[in-house]
Amino acid sequence: MKQFVVIGLGRFGSNIARALSEKNFEVLAIDRDEEKVKQMEGIVSQAVQLDATDERSLKELGIQEFDTAIVSMGEHVEDSIMITLTLKELGIKQVIVKSKSDLHSKILKKVGADRIVFPERQMAERLAESLASPKIFDFIELSNTYGIVEMVAPKKLLNKTLAELKLREKYGVSVIAIKRKVPYSKTDGTTDFKEEVVIGPGGSDDLISGDILILLGRNEDLNKIKKL
Amino acid sequence: MKSEDGDFKELIDLSDFYILSQKYEEAIKILKRAERIKKVEPKLYYNLGIAYEALNELDDARDSFRLALKLDPDFKSAQEHLEKLISE
Repeated sequence: MKQFVVIGLGRFGSNIARALSEKNFEVLAIDRDEEKVKQMEGIVSQAVQLDATDERSLKELGIQEFDTAIVSMGEHVEDSIMITLTLKELGIKQVIVKSKSDLHSKILKKVGADRIVFPERQMAERLAESLASPKIFDFIELSNTYGIVEMVAPKKLLNKTLAELKLREKYGVSVIAIKRKVPYSKTDGTTDFKEEVVIGPGGSDDLISGDILILLGRNEDLNKIKKL
Repeated sequence: MKSEDGDFKELIDLSDFYILSQKYEEAIKILKRAERIKKVEPKLYYNLGIAYEALNELDDARDSFRLALKLDPDFKSAQEHLEKLISE
């Protein structure tokens, strides 16, 4: 099983440590603040109070045995750079680092970070996208050319089957999944709905009001369908 | 002659039927008619919230669930939907 070490237990670090533990991964959580470490006890496999800029302490802890390290010291730029460098020198295969600025990211790349995340900026961009077009729930850029969009099925496409719609031929996009709300009556007499996901829908599947489409395609084609 | 309460109940039942048939726009139309008869019924706003949420009209869904909860602060299903919509 994959093992993760999370260094820095602020908001981002503690949340990622918690989320990985909930997925039953072995997680070692480290912070120099005793209080933050205490809060993670019982949630992660092991929580340790330690100054992660001290290479010897990291070695003694056997940190080199971990597959992936997540460094979340957003406010302490210098520490995050030093720790990233140390972790790469110790041979950790994948080091993911939370960045605070473009300059910070640049330096992290130079010292060998395998992946740099900018959660505030990424979240802000996604929120801006969804506020600009409320029918677009999410957009993931797979590359400069391709992306995945999660959007409300446009009215123009409703009450037709996928075979009739020919989305790939007409718009160049593929439907990966359809998220659909399925209504039911509750025992207390109220109505409610469950969300169902139809993965890889077939030609006979039709689109109905309220459906959410998950589409894969070239960014320019996705932009066209977003405007329908 | 039917009472206004009778008409109102029929409209709410009809909105349940439309929601269960996934005809959410029709459910909203019916519920707006019901609102003109009686504005103080939490189930009306709950159903409206469900129909709006099903259509991904999330601002209207939030407002409707809030109204349902204003009329009945213990309306558990409305509370659950509102919490989910706020954290989305």
